[in-house]
Parts: sequence; C-alpha cells; structure tokens
Amino acid sequence: MSGAFEIYRRWLRDRRRSTIVWSVSIAAVSVVTAAFFSSLGQSLGENAESGSTTSSMLGLSDGIDPQTPTGFLWAANYSNQLPWLMMALAIALGTAAIAGDEADGTLEYVLSKPVTRSAIAMARAAGMVTILFISAIVNLVAVAITAPLFDLYDSVTITGADGSTSTASGLTFGQLVVGGLAAFAVALGSGAIAYLLGAASGRKGWAMGGASGFAVAGYVLYTLSNVTGDLEFLTWISPWRWFIDDAMMVNGLTWDILWPFALTVVAVVAGWQLFLRRDLQN
Amino acid sequence: MTVIEAQGLTKKWGDFAAVDDLDLAVGEGECYAFLGRNGAGKSTTARMFLDFLRPTSGSVKVLGGSGADPEVRSRIGYLPGDLNLPPTMTGIEAVHYFGSIGHEPDTAKVQALMDRLGLTADRPFHQLSTGSRRKVGLVLAFMNDPDLLILDEPTSGLDPVLQDTFRDMVIEHKQRGATVWLTSHVMSDVDRVADRVGLIDQGKLAQQLSMDELRTKSTGNITLTFPDAPDVSSFDGVEGVSNVQVADRQLSIHVDGPVTAVLARAAELGAVDIQTEKNDLEDIFLDTYSHEAGR
Repeated sequence: MSGAFEIYRRWLRDRRRSTIVWSVSIAAVSVVTAAFFSSLGQSLGENAESGSTTSSMLGLSDGIDPQTPTGFLWAANYSNQLPWLMMALAIALGTAAIAGDEADGTLEYVLSKPVTRSAIAMARAAGMVTILFISAIVNLVAVAITAPLFDLYDSVTITGADGSTSTASGLTFGQLVVGGLAAFAVALGSGAIAYLLGAASGRKGWAMGGASGFAVAGYVLYTLSNVTGDLEFLTWISPWRWFIDDAMMVNGLTWDILWPFALTVVAVVAGWQLFLRRDLQN
Repeated sequence: MTVIEAQGLTKKWGDFAAVDDLDLAVGEGECYAFLGRNGAGKSTTARMFLDFLRPTSGSVKVLGGSGADPEVRSRIGYLPGDLNLPPTMTGIEAVHYFGSIGHEPDTAKVQALMDRLGLTADRPFHQLSTGSRRKVGLVLAFMNDPDLLILDEPTSGLDPVLQDTFRDMVIEHKQRGATVWLTSHVMSDVDRVADRVGLIDQGKLAQQLSMDELRTKSTGNITLTFPDAPDVSSFDGVEGVSNVQVADRQLSIHVDGPVTAVLARAAELGAVDIQTEKNDLEDIFLDTYSHEAGR
C-alpha cells in the first residue's frame, strides 16, 4: 500500500496552498464573528424573538439565548456560516478527489502505474477527510485562543424581558470542540456525497452540483418546514435537521453526530465500488 | 511469447463502435505500429490495454495478464497522447512521485535520459512547452526499462532531432527484448522502428502487414529515357506494368511488384536513364483512407 500512501501524500501536497487559504479564511470568519459578541449579542436575541423564520435560520431552538457567549457563537457562526464554509470546502474536495482529477486528465496517468483503483479511491477519500479535519482544527485553535479577547469565556448577566436578571456561564473549550465537530461532520457528509457522485460518474459538474443542491435544498426544506409545518415528514432527509435541532454546541453531544459519519462511510464505499466498475472519462 | 493479445475486442458507446472486433497479437521484442486517422480507435485501443476502458465484448491480455493488475502495470511504460500531470509538479518531482508508486528508477539512468532528451526538469509542468511535456512523458515511460512500451503519438511536438533520438531509444529497447506498441502520424517513425503495422479504419483493423510485406507490396512509378521516342506498347505483356505514358523520349510506367522484368525490357530497348518514385508507407496509408477523404 506504499503507492496509496504516496498518492495520499501528493494529493495533500498539491492542495497545500488552498488548504492554508481555506483554513485561515474559515478561522478568520469565526474570529471576526466572535469579536462582535459584546455589541451584537443583544440585538441578535431581539431579532430572533421577532420571528420564527429568523429563529429557524439562526438555529435558535428552545433555551438557546444569543445573549450568552455560547448562544451567540452558535447563532452567529456555528449554526450557519461555519458549516456552510466547511461544506463548500468539503464539496470542492469531494469533487476533486476523483472527478476533478479525472476531468483534468491527471487521474489516468496515475492509473497507468502499479496502483489499484481501490488504492486511489481510498487515498483520495482519506485526503478529503484530512484537509477538512485540518481546517476544523485551525478554526478551533483560532477561536479558542482569541475568545478571551472578546470575553467569551466569562460569565454574563442577562436581563430578561420582565426585568429579571440571571447569570449565564461563559463559553467552554469543550463547547468549541463539540460545535466544531458537528460542523465538521455535517460538512463531511456533503463532501462524501460529492465524492460519491464524482466517483460514480467521473463528472465534476454532477459531483459539485449534486452535493451543493443536496445541501441547499436540505437547508431550505428544513428552515421553511420549521416555519410552515409543511413537508415536515421529509425533513429527515435534511442534514440540517439533526444539526440545528440538536444544537450540540449548546446542548452537548448526541448520538445524532453519528449520522453524517455513517453517511460518509456509505457514500465512500458506494463511490469506491462504482469507480471500480466503470470506464474512465476522457 | 505473445505480449499483447486481443480477441474480438470491441468498444461501443451506444451504436457507435470505437473499436470493432479487433484481433491482435504482438510478440515479444516486436514493435507494432497502430496507424489510423484521428478518431479511428487507436487511443481507445490503448486505453483498453490499460483497463481505463472496459471492452463491450471480447478480451485483451497484456504481458499475460490484465492491464488492471499492478504487477502487469509495473512492467509497462505508457505515454498517453495527451499527458496531463498536476500543474505544479516539476519533471523531477514526477520522476520521484511515479517512481515511488512503482519502482524507484536508477537516478543516473534518469539523468542520462533527461540529458539525452535535453530536458530541464525543474520547472512546473504547467510552465512547460508542448515539446518539453512530451520529453517528461518519454522519460517517465522509459525510465524503468519496461517490458512493454505503449506510446500514443510519442513524437508529437518534438523537433526532428528529438524525433531521431526517440527512434534510437525505441530501437535500443527493442534490442534488449522490450515490446513496443505505438501509434503515430509520423511515417518516418514507423518506417524506421516498426516490425509490423496495423491500419485501423473506423474501429476495424483494415490491414495488417509486416514491414517486409510492405516493401514487397509497395508500388512505384518509373520514368525511362530512351535515345529516340519509344512506342507506347513497348512494355505490353510485362508483369505488373500499367498506366504507360509517353512524352517525347521519356516513357513513364506504374509498376506493381518486382521490377526485374521491367528493367530487363528497358535494357533490351536501350534505355539511357531511369528515375524511380517509390510509393511508401505514407501512400499506403493514404490509399487505405482515400475512401474517407473522398466523402
């Protein structure tokens, strides 16, 4: 399997610069968003109270208060911006894994060497997971280091609508880990769908379009269904249902975290098997 | 030993047959040139050898096994018609990368190959000219002394000096027992290195002949000059002669096959000069595909 390791290593190396740019960009969005806690937390809470659509889009289910540090980070970043950005990266990686290199013509030459299609399929899937994981870690470290600058680790006193006050605890490192893990997981699932479509068809457009469509359609279905109640029976298809409903960053890990990983395993295995059975595209 | 063996090899996309019922056997140490017009099915055939494409029907074996088998591939040097490598990969990185996937080549041998082809291998692939990309491809194909070379348009983009170098390289590899399967539109490549040619036309093998057969079959035009104007019937009854034309003291004929009888008759008639214009592989190629050109 030394050939597979070399392919994995080279694929990462070819994406070294883009990995740095993506990771730094995602982390920068998180840090900049976190910087607005003191000035934006309260107004975010008022907006959320104004309508169920906004609440749904911000992932503000019962008991999540955006005036708290964790609630703010969840509503302003970890429930929307972060997973979307990580999804975009994951879909780009899942598309590039097989279909992208096939369309560029570089996959064929690798396959003329003494390496199996299985080794390439596995090396590329591992590469996709690795780069996504690196981005998640960079984001975690960046937010964890900068959080004290914005008082996110400190307890806050919240004044309710009736004038009563309460104290909410500050952000914990564990919440950042769980929030990042959930975003990583939901993104990985989308990347795996791109991988599956690309491996099955060898076409970049199908992989990118299919996976992006799945992510966006799932989001629209989930958020609008939350508002109207229509098509609620279909929302199990949407990865956003467990992601936003569970709000693991605030409420803690649930077994639902396993769904995207299971989806990833199924998609990668299916993509690998379909890749073995088809012609390479020109 | 048969190094490439195809039986009834067919590749169809819908109703279109890119390769149709191809039977082929290429022996050890042989250089087989697979010729045809653009889109005739040459590259599709090569891609089936390496399992990039799966036959619709029929079968193909290379080096006694499947092109999908890494062990088999480790003995093949492949140059695709359009080589694409990761854009930022330099030539020397490509040597090490593809060497690490298979067998790491002898550094001195790689350097000698690069020197021979005049390749500077420290620039990224996307910055290389067409010819330099071809050189990288040739180094990668030859660097492990493969038992089988599959070369698709190997000299495309190379200057005449490098084309000559390439021919020398192929001959050297043949001499050490390697088998070569190549496609080319450069007939001088084929003339010099091939032992046998196959002409593919719309996916079907139209002709297959050895270079010896080719030379025997080849035809030519002969122009003879006589002291006085010759009679147009001078060569009546001479085997293989046709298209006799007389202009002043010159008589032009088309000869199909051996010229022995023609020369004997010319001597009898007292010819003082002879000019020959031999048909070569290129004419046979053009003859084979003239029906398409006339469409």
